[in-house]
Amino acid sequence: MNAYDATIWGVFILIGLATTLPRASFIVLGSRVTLPSVVQRALRYAPAAALAAIVVPDVLLVSGELAPLNPKLAAAGAAIGAALISRNPWLPFIAGMGVLLGLKQFLA
Amino acid sequence: MTIFSSPGFRAGAREGFRAFLPLSVGLIPWALVTGMSMVGIGMTPVQAMGMNVIVFAGTAQLGTLPLIAAGAPLWLIVATALALNLRFLIFSAAIAQGFRGLANGPRWLSGHLLTDGVFATCVTKMMETEDKDWRLGYYLAPSIWSWLLWQGFALVGVLAAGSIPRGWSLEFMATIALMVLLIPMAKMRPMLVAAATGGLTAVLLNGLPLKLGLFAGIFAGIGAGLAADHWHTKGARA
Repeated sequence: MNAYDATIWGVFILIGLATTLPRASFIVLGSRVTLPSVVQRALRYAPAAALAAIVVPDVLLVSGELAPLNPKLAAAGAAIGAALISRNPWLPFIAGMGVLLGLKQFLA
Repeated sequence: MTIFSSPGFRAGAREGFRAFLPLSVGLIPWALVTGMSMVGIGMTPVQAMGMNVIVFAGTAQLGTLPLIAAGAPLWLIVATALALNLRFLIFSAAIAQGFRGLANGPRWLSGHLLTDGVFATCVTKMMETEDKDWRLGYYLAPSIWSWLLWQGFALVGVLAAGSIPRGWSLEFMATIALMVLLIPMAKMRPMLVAAATGGLTAVLLNGLPLKLGLFAGIFAGIGAGLAADHWHTKGARA
């Protein structure tokens, strides 16, 4: 948090605008404007690219260095495995947090 | 306020609520996890609920938390939120016809409340129906129900997180949530290419200042996804 302690509400408002404006865009403008199909296709890939760009460095790097054997990566594997084999929405969180805390305990 | 008490609005609202109710249960774990994650990066309960009310978007909230925690530059936080929300441009364009004949006020309210689940529930019915009051009711009832569930269960998460020790790394819940969101997307080939390219680029460029690697990853991922899409459709035609 530190860096944004004083300005956190401004940050929330900007993130809120970056959410409400895309959502309201065409609903408010109506059918007067349409998106070209290339743009529509490009936009489809933005969420997947952004999610991966946030998550992958978080589980592969430890203080900026590649660390293929770190507890977070094992926990990520467990969470993904749980999501693939079960439809239970809680299981990925239980499996991931369980492995993370278990390994941290074990390595401590 | 007359539109909200018209018989058409009420009938639409009842039907929309009934159609959405079973689906809405899926929001609960997300709201709980989002509440816990916000406290996990060090927000006070008031800040966490403030963010929850102002932003009202699980993916954008969870996605920006690690950046806020790391003190990433503001423009990058906003750009990331935009990238995560770009799908709403498409949803908004696809459902816009459903608001024909309605005034600007209800349109802004509806826009603010647009979520993936409500979009999926409402888009077809709203195209087919003539009565504009009915359409607005059919859309707003599930939207307001989503809002209430989202705020209520996020609050439960925020309060529960307060009694969990810091050493439990609750912030990792956000990472798990983002991965779970990514999995169904990655089942389509071009989407998987976009994700793999975005993730790898972000790792390789992680040494860049200001978390620019994330930004580069988003752009590289979109480019790779488009290229894969292009080959994919070409291959299908040949």
